[in-house]
Amino acid sequence: MTERAYRICVSCVMDTSDSAIVFDEHGVCDHCRTFETRIRPGWHTDARARAELDGIVARIEAAGKGRDFDCIIGVSGGIDSSYLTWLAKTELGLRPLVFHVDAGWNSQEAVNNIERLIEHLGLDLYTHVIDWEEMRDLQLAFFKSGVSHIDTPQDHAFFATMYKFAEEHGVRHILTGANYSTECVRNPLEWMYYQSDAIQLRDIHKRFGTRALVKFPTTSILRHKVYLPYVKGIRVERPLNYMPYHKEEAIRLLTEKFGWQPYPQKHFESRFTRFYEGYWLPTRFGYDTRRVQFSSLILTGQMTREEALKKLESPAYDPETIAHDKEFVATKLGISVEEIESFHSMPKKTYRDYRSQSSIYAIGAPLMRLLGLELGGKR
Amino acid sequence: MIAIVAYGLGNVQAIANIYRRLNVEARLVSTSEELRAADRIVLPGVGSFDWAMEALARSGLRETLDELVMGERRSVLGICVGMQMMARKSEEGTSAGLGWIDAEVKRLPQADGLMLPHMGWNDVEPRAASPLFEGLDTDARFYFLHSYYFLPNDEGVVIAAADYGKQFACAVQSGNVYGAQFHPEKSHGWGIRLLKNFAEM
Amino acid sequence: MLRPRIIPCLLVHNGGLVKTCRFAEPAYVGDPVNAVRIFNEKEVDELFVADIDASVRGAEPDYSLIANLAAECRMPLAYAGGVRTVEQVERIVALGVEKVAIGAAAIATPEFVTAAAGKVGSQSIAVVADVRKAVDRYEVFTHNGARAARRTAEELAAWAEQAGAGEVIVNNIDRDGMMTGYDLDLVERCRQATGLPITVLGGAASLGDIARLIARFPIIGAAAGSLFVFKGKYRAVLINYPDRTAKTRLMGTGSGKVEPR
Repeated sequence: MTERAYRICVSCVMDTSDSAIVFDEHGVCDHCRTFETRIRPGWHTDARARAELDGIVARIEAAGKGRDFDCIIGVSGGIDSSYLTWLAKTELGLRPLVFHVDAGWNSQEAVNNIERLIEHLGLDLYTHVIDWEEMRDLQLAFFKSGVSHIDTPQDHAFFATMYKFAEEHGVRHILTGANYSTECVRNPLEWMYYQSDAIQLRDIHKRFGTRALVKFPTTSILRHKVYLPYVKGIRVERPLNYMPYHKEEAIRLLTEKFGWQPYPQKHFESRFTRFYEGYWLPTRFGYDTRRVQFSSLILTGQMTREEALKKLESPAYDPETIAHDKEFVATKLGISVEEIESFHSMPKKTYRDYRSQSSIYAIGAPLMRLLGLELGGKR
Repeated sequence: MIAIVAYGLGNVQAIANIYRRLNVEARLVSTSEELRAADRIVLPGVGSFDWAMEALARSGLRETLDELVMGERRSVLGICVGMQMMARKSEEGTSAGLGWIDAEVKRLPQADGLMLPHMGWNDVEPRAASPLFEGLDTDARFYFLHSYYFLPNDEGVVIAAADYGKQFACAVQSGNVYGAQFHPEKSHGWGIRLLKNFAEM
Repeated sequence: MLRPRIIPCLLVHNGGLVKTCRFAEPAYVGDPVNAVRIFNEKEVDELFVADIDASVRGAEPDYSLIANLAAECRMPLAYAGGVRTVEQVERIVALGVEKVAIGAAAIATPEFVTAAAGKVGSQSIAVVADVRKAVDRYEVFTHNGARAARRTAEELAAWAEQAGAGEVIVNNIDRDGMMTGYDLDLVERCRQATGLPITVLGGAASLGDIARLIARFPIIGAAAGSLFVFKGKYRAVLINYPDRTAKTRLMGTGSGKVEPR
């Protein structure tokens, strides 16, 4: 099979490192076309949207009457969830419980930002700490599997824990900071697959894990896309989609208001994610998630293509600190730097090499779109 | 290349880590050969005077150190007990010190119910403009953990003073021989700066 | 001017961080290495790590964990848990730990404290007193509060100085994890009994408690577990510590002069 010639989209900065990318006759990629044809038409941030949001807020308040909190907001310490928390409390008048999942990789900035958030907004915090030994073993299993989506344990744990908490405490509304403004272009499936696929997680664990997964929380796609919303009535709302959301402005506001500390790149709240997206994915697989993030910002007018191209010229990781970061990850996982490097040069695998629920996703995703329940979606 | 003398005590790993993060070449050395390859030397230390002198004797590095420091005048930074060892003797023990600086080590006077050991973060006042304290002239503070202090014969070697019960020399310099009574490897940014200065001066 | 020390206390159980209430019900808090990293970046004064299994099990301290923590710490580290012999003390200090804290062994084999101090120096030996209040006396216990040592906190504090230790750590079992404030009466008694530096642990619920302790005892170690690890009414795990501004406020306008005995 001949290698595909390098090509980059003329409109955003996605390129053939996404091997499923398709270009039209103008050189515009399918990410851009999906945005223009499927997302933008259905995505409103004007008064109409605001009215819709007010309706949602009213429902949340009603459902939460008499309770200590009326919704939970999953926070990582990152800008989206932090801004959402500020918005929910000060603008929407909600009474959220701030929910955090500690998978053992919190950066100091993340911890600091969460603290400032709850102190200044006077909100309650609930933290679930993932059992470190299980987490560590699962992360190592993912390394050993050779796939590219090795950050799945963190993400999966986050969602699973939140849903579990909501179900156990009868909380009907979960707010997330997910938004089109900075995330309308999604990471290709080939890069990060679906973090919610529990079959894949369990298969990789079965083959490469060394201890039982007892305390580690798992969820599944059917559970949280069908069972929880339609049977238990637990809704996930994305308030940031109902208004203009500008990342830089959000950062400025939080920094000024309560000394929020910005991160050098998206998702750097977790020291593992920083290593994974900054170094591992680009150097082992050639997948640079900045392309995805910048492309979203380009499409929503928050960054120019020139700026994006310029930034992409330098590596995604800091060459000064990468040796230290690698050491930190290795030490924390209880392995040597040599072992990490041996994982780095292993043959590359994909999600197809292990058991998965990808067929369900393949049916479900277009179905959700057809039913108008979701715009866009991963591919 | 900075040689961190690994003779069995002192937080050599913390010092090595700091230099690694500063991208300064530093190595833990336990043989004379490795020691000779160094441009500068760090002599760390925790514990009692005699214990440290004994450990140094056992390491077999004593002679090479004397040669490099007093003979070839390579820069050396003694930390805590490492600094105290550079004196001629100490009230804390019976061993003779290295004698690199004409000084004695005496017990801090316990007047007025002063608590000993001197334990915690204290202000450090640089005296002369020493390259070791570059960028540390205001608001410098370091962690101290000791009951004995360095008393040099010549006041001129004192480059920084601290106050605990009395003013005492907390950093000295005699030619190529430097000493710090506090623990720069355990003093956050201030300590990192001082260690950086030692590497770059 | 010597400052009072504000010290997070981390308890290790089965290799993981935990927090207890009255020395019982350990709740999982996470991985020690990440916690130490975060405290590092928050520039904490000093860190106290206690292995709550080691004493009870009579096991060797986890040297590999100690080495990792010591290498990560940019601030002084004190370790407690299962230390009974001079060799262990020497080994732990050689790994880069500034102070070794001795509890049960100080009661069982008091001469060991003197021998250890003779080797590594008084400044590296602390004696830990886990205490419970019984009517008007503060009784010392060992083995995670299970065994009575038959002496009071003040007696142990006074003895520690004679034995050659360099610090007394007073750990209030009753107030552990309760967040009801420091017992200043206990501190006063120990202060009267010894000229050694004292560190107090157990009960701190807020920075205000620390401020009150420092106002009364300007040179002291104010240690806390729950305060720096939990937040709010759900006791959510979130590592926190006062920044420089908050710390300066805490320390008030104390002259730093030591209190006469």
